[in-house]
Amino acid sequence: MSYEVKNVNGAAVVALTGDVDLQTSPQVRQKLLESLEQYKRIVVDLSAVNYIDSSGVASLVEAFQVSRKKGSTFSLANVSSAAMRVLSLARLDKVFTIHPSVETALAQG
Amino acid sequence: MQAQAQAPSGNTPDADSKPQGEERDHLLLIAEMTREFAAANDYKAVAHTALERITKYMSAEAASLFLLSDSGDSLVCVACYGPVDITGLSIPATTGVVGRSVISRKGLLVRDVSQDSDFGAAVDAKTGFTTRSLLVAPLAIGKECLGAIEIINRTTGDGLFSDEDMLLLETLARAAALAINNFRLTHKIVQQERDRHELELAAEIQRDLLPQASTRDFPIHGINIPARSVSGDFYDIITLPDGRIWFNVADVSGKGMNAALLMAKTSSLFRCLAKSAENPGQLLSAINNELCETNSHGMFVTMVGGLFDPAIGMVRLANAGHEPPLLFDARTERFTAVQADAPPLGIAPDIAGSDGFPVREIYLGGGTLYVFTDGLTEATTFGGGMLGIDGVRALIRDHADQSPDLRLKSIAGAVKLPGQSLRDDLTLLVAEDMAIGPMGAKPPAESVDTPADEQILRIRVPGRADRLKLIRAATEQAAKFIDAPEAWTFDLKMAVDEACQNIVRHAYKNSPDAGDIVIDFRRRGGILEVDIMDFAEAVDPETIRPRDITEIRPGGLGVHLIKSVCDEANFVPPPPGVGNLFKLTKRLPPKIQ
Repeated sequence: MSYEVKNVNGAAVVALTGDVDLQTSPQVRQKLLESLEQYKRIVVDLSAVNYIDSSGVASLVEAFQVSRKKGSTFSLANVSSAAMRVLSLARLDKVFTIHPSVETALAQG
Repeated sequence: MQAQAQAPSGNTPDADSKPQGEERDHLLLIAEMTREFAAANDYKAVAHTALERITKYMSAEAASLFLLSDSGDSLVCVACYGPVDITGLSIPATTGVVGRSVISRKGLLVRDVSQDSDFGAAVDAKTGFTTRSLLVAPLAIGKECLGAIEIINRTTGDGLFSDEDMLLLETLARAAALAINNFRLTHKIVQQERDRHELELAAEIQRDLLPQASTRDFPIHGINIPARSVSGDFYDIITLPDGRIWFNVADVSGKGMNAALLMAKTSSLFRCLAKSAENPGQLLSAINNELCETNSHGMFVTMVGGLFDPAIGMVRLANAGHEPPLLFDARTERFTAVQADAPPLGIAPDIAGSDGFPVREIYLGGGTLYVFTDGLTEATTFGGGMLGIDGVRALIRDHADQSPDLRLKSIAGAVKLPGQSLRDDLTLLVAEDMAIGPMGAKPPAESVDTPADEQILRIRVPGRADRLKLIRAATEQAAKFIDAPEAWTFDLKMAVDEACQNIVRHAYKNSPDAGDIVIDFRRRGGILEVDIMDFAEAVDPETIRPRDITEIRPGGLGVHLIKSVCDEANFVPPPPGVGNLFKLTKRLPPKIQ
């Protein structure tokens, strides 16, 4: 798993690549919470995620909850089919704001 | 009566001129009327003509036939002849000359009714008829008296009846009594025969509602022995195209024809609704609502409904107020009772809510499930006492080594002597685990793979987070080996990963020097089985439950994901030396089954 955080017009675009599992999700969680400290808008790009497990989903949920407390915006974009399968099984596809692409996420905020 | 009759015969005024002729006439009348009575299908029709002939023969004015009502309280006129029709007239059985004759079972001759205190003038007042003289003979049969024949007012001579008339009427009354009695007996026998025939037809239809006898290698067998010709008990076995089997055992409250009809209705509902139901809880709830829609006259049905998957030896069970089924493990001789979670069917609609009645998942684990009605537990033993649940357990234990079919007959035979009927209908059904996995509860010595059981991959890795990627890769390769499609493979990979993640976190507590995880992939017919074993202390399965999906919070999601994509996912008893055994089963997609 690798990650990359980019500043695009004042928003953080966090791109995750590879497998988000029990081994790697603590780093994802830490990176998301750090970004929430620095940015008011976070877009998580999940296009290159081959696998995400319940611990990875839990990191996304935690970041989402923190953003709501802070009044920040937190959205997912370009969700891979593997990640989408897990999110829909967890019934979280209706909870997260999900955009078809990073561009639409940034345009809509 | 004989003395009374003989005395006047010699004193009759014209005894010398007409004795032969009159006696012959008497005899002819008696013979003719006896024959008519004997040949009659309906004595009431004959009675009217008979009364007419007697009236005319005796030169009387009127005659009537009274019969005791069923209750014996009153005498009812069933036929009469004369100027006033009193058919249907009912008088108290203890009053009047007729009443006296019936009670004493003796003929009575009242020459002048105005001198008889027993004469009921009320009838005359009602009919406008004037009674002067009466002749009454009882319809006596042995010690019984059915009623009486009454002849009123002689129209010739002095207008009075003679003792000879009395004798004649008594003789005719005896013939009439025999005819009436015969008619009643015949009618009763015909009715009984008709009832018996109808009951036999009903029983035959009912037997046809029961399933055919199962073949020896079929995992579910049943037996039903009605206490009477029709039964309030039933059972059914329905095999689905995918190999799973619906079954039920039920008992309708009450006995006889109405219970049998409700049984027929409920069994049809089960058969019909089972084809679209997802689980027994939903099915029983649907049957309950249907039964409640129509009035069942206070009757209800207790039922155990189950869906058995022989491929994995698992039964899903819902119990609506029925006798708890027993799970018996012949190796440990242990019994587990499955209590009722819901009230009987047909009492109140919509009691179960949208999820249906509670469902229990029971892994047979090499054991056998017995479902029965209270006709078994409450059966009388040869010793005279009630069998009871302990008696049932003893019978199951004693016959455990027999084939299912023979075992059912042995258990039923222990409470039913040939030729004797039971106190209550008896139904017993047995579901056998015919597919015991090598990693199941069976001891290793007996763990012989069935020919259909195909080992695909077995891996042993340290139970650490950094090995999860390897486990996922191995799972993918195992699925690829059996040509499973991509989406199916992803779901399996996720389930295995989540299960192993739980071991890493909960069993080994994220320890760097954790013990191993052993994963065993096996294909059994159309099913992939994955046994996931660890060597940590036993985990209480109650602490690992699916989270409430409506609650959004991190964690606790893994078990929900596993259950969402697997057909079965449960802790099962581990083999010796293994800490926990978590078993996943997932049906293969149809095209590679």
